[in-house]
Amino acid sequence: MGIAGLTFLPVIGAILAIVFAARAKKQILTSDLEGMGLAKAGRTLGIIGIVIPALALILFLLRDNVRAFIDEFFDLEIMKESWSFLLRGLVVTLELALVSEACILVLGLIVALIRISRIKVFRFIAAVYIDVIRGMPLLLQIIIIYFGLSYLGLNLSRFTAGVLALTICYAAYEAEIFRAGIESIHKGQMEAARSLGMTYLQSMRFVVLPQAVRRVIPPLSNEFIALLKDTALVSVIGLGEMMLRARELMGTKASVTPLVVAAFFYLMITIPLMRLVQVMEKRLSKGD
Amino acid sequence: MIETEDENTEKKTQAEQSDGPMIRVLGLHKKFEDFEALRGIDLDVLPQQVVVVVGPSGSGKSTMLRCINGLEQATRGQIFIEGIDITHHATDINEVRQKVGMVFQSFNLFPHLTALKNVTLAPIKVRGMDQDEASEKALKLLEKVGLSDKADAYPAHLSGGQQQRVAIARSLAMDPDVMLFDEVTSALDPELVKEVLDTMQDLAREGMTMVVVTHEMGFAKEVGSRLIFMDEGIVVEDGDPEQVFTNPQHPRTQEFFSKILSHI
Ligand SMILES: Nc1ncnc2c1ncn2[C@@H]1O[C@H](COP(=O)(O)OP(=O)(O)O)[C@@H](O)[C@H]1O
Ligand SMILES: [Mg+2]
Repeated sequence: MGIAGLTFLPVIGAILAIVFAARAKKQILTSDLEGMGLAKAGRTLGIIGIVIPALALILFLLRDNVRAFIDEFFDLEIMKESWSFLLRGLVVTLELALVSEACILVLGLIVALIRISRIKVFRFIAAVYIDVIRGMPLLLQIIIIYFGLSYLGLNLSRFTAGVLALTICYAAYEAEIFRAGIESIHKGQMEAARSLGMTYLQSMRFVVLPQAVRRVIPPLSNEFIALLKDTALVSVIGLGEMMLRARELMGTKASVTPLVVAAFFYLMITIPLMRLVQVMEKRLSKGD
Repeated sequence: MIETEDENTEKKTQAEQSDGPMIRVLGLHKKFEDFEALRGIDLDVLPQQVVVVVGPSGSGKSTMLRCINGLEQATRGQIFIEGIDITHHATDINEVRQKVGMVFQSFNLFPHLTALKNVTLAPIKVRGMDQDEASEKALKLLEKVGLSDKADAYPAHLSGGQQQRVAIARSLAMDPDVMLFDEVTSALDPELVKEVLDTMQDLAREGMTMVVVTHEMGFAKEVGSRLIFMDEGIVVEDGDPEQVFTNPQHPRTQEFFSKILSHI
């Protein structure tokens, strides 16, 4: 109680400061900007004078818990022991994300083109695919694909199954982005190309897509960031990417610290990517 | 230049000779959902003719041009380009389009390509022309439309008049036998109209067959060999520009001309 009791002194002063400031505010004219400013400053200082001692008091009373929290989440020894193991997991995570992204871009574009084709049945099939996939949790799709395929006698490696699941899922989302990009290009572009004798596919490839792709780079990059994080879900089928490794270490070390290290590694990749997307978006909006 | 040997002679119907009409439109109807934009158009455009098409907004002028180069499919009727029926399902529309150039009101240049690349794209991709040959030809065409110094400029850095002239050069790069112009000066600032009209006039002088939708009456009189007045999806009047202009026969034509003349 000794130290805690001391915090009451400044708090009493702070309360008085707020009261005086309120009185001053009432008595001075509203046109007196300087006086008003001072009164407001007095009140703000008074509030700070209450909040800081209060926080100090709480930390002090909970000091054992705070220490336990820091020990659990930021154990330096465990950090030292786990970072290289996790870093190797990060490599797998990045491989998984990059290989998947390459497949997703190809499949997503193909699905988008089918989705806007003139043949009704094709359009319908693409629309069903997109809706079904987008209507299910990715986690569930990963499990179904991995176990489903192995029941069918197709024993894919965990990595391949992960790439397959992520591709099938994300292609549905990216197809919609591609479609929006293609449809945002004025139809006069397609017509001008066609009127020169180019086929539909030539016009698409040399005229419409180059313009559409530029527009969809930022949203596609955002999808890539989401994909990078969603690779963690592939840990459910036992692929040793970073998330699985972090959870393993959490068990063997009986500590949450490995998860914190993993979180740090994810952020190291995703935050620069997010900044990059912002820069690209700014450039594109200027360019138009 | 119009009488070049045609590889597709065997496709021509027997009725068509090489000195037949460049474009023949027979009973053309075009329906959009339940709205009939074209209600029976008959039109022959002879080689080297410059047919000027006028008519109120919504009368079907654009739709007719778009049917002629296959951007819209005819609901009924036939369209022959140099004797080839483009409404026939076996006709390769891409091949026919190479002979029919089209220039649009909104230019529609490819914004991601320089002026030169806009012109070379189709010859390279469609004709399989090699890069150097296509560039050389494109430079000549850009020079012809007065823009050789803008070859490396992107469309965004060109004025409307310059963009439209690049668009004309782009069409010419496919060596078309007919050129269709759809209100190509309507989107231009007044001071830029003349440079585009002059380019078109040069083309006409060289003997290009042209169908020109425009409200530029000066151009119609000076360059047009024929004037067609369209209203509500049909051709109301068809004759010598000067004559249609000074002495319109049909009341709707009279009304139209009195309206636009009061604006000049
Ligand atoms: N794609 C389309 N769908 C529905 N209606 C159309 C379409 N294109 C043109 N129309 C209609 O057909 C009519 C003729 O249009 P258009 O040929 O553009 O006229 P103009 O060029 O003479 O102004 C207009 O009433 C227009 O609204
Ligand atoms: Mg029009």
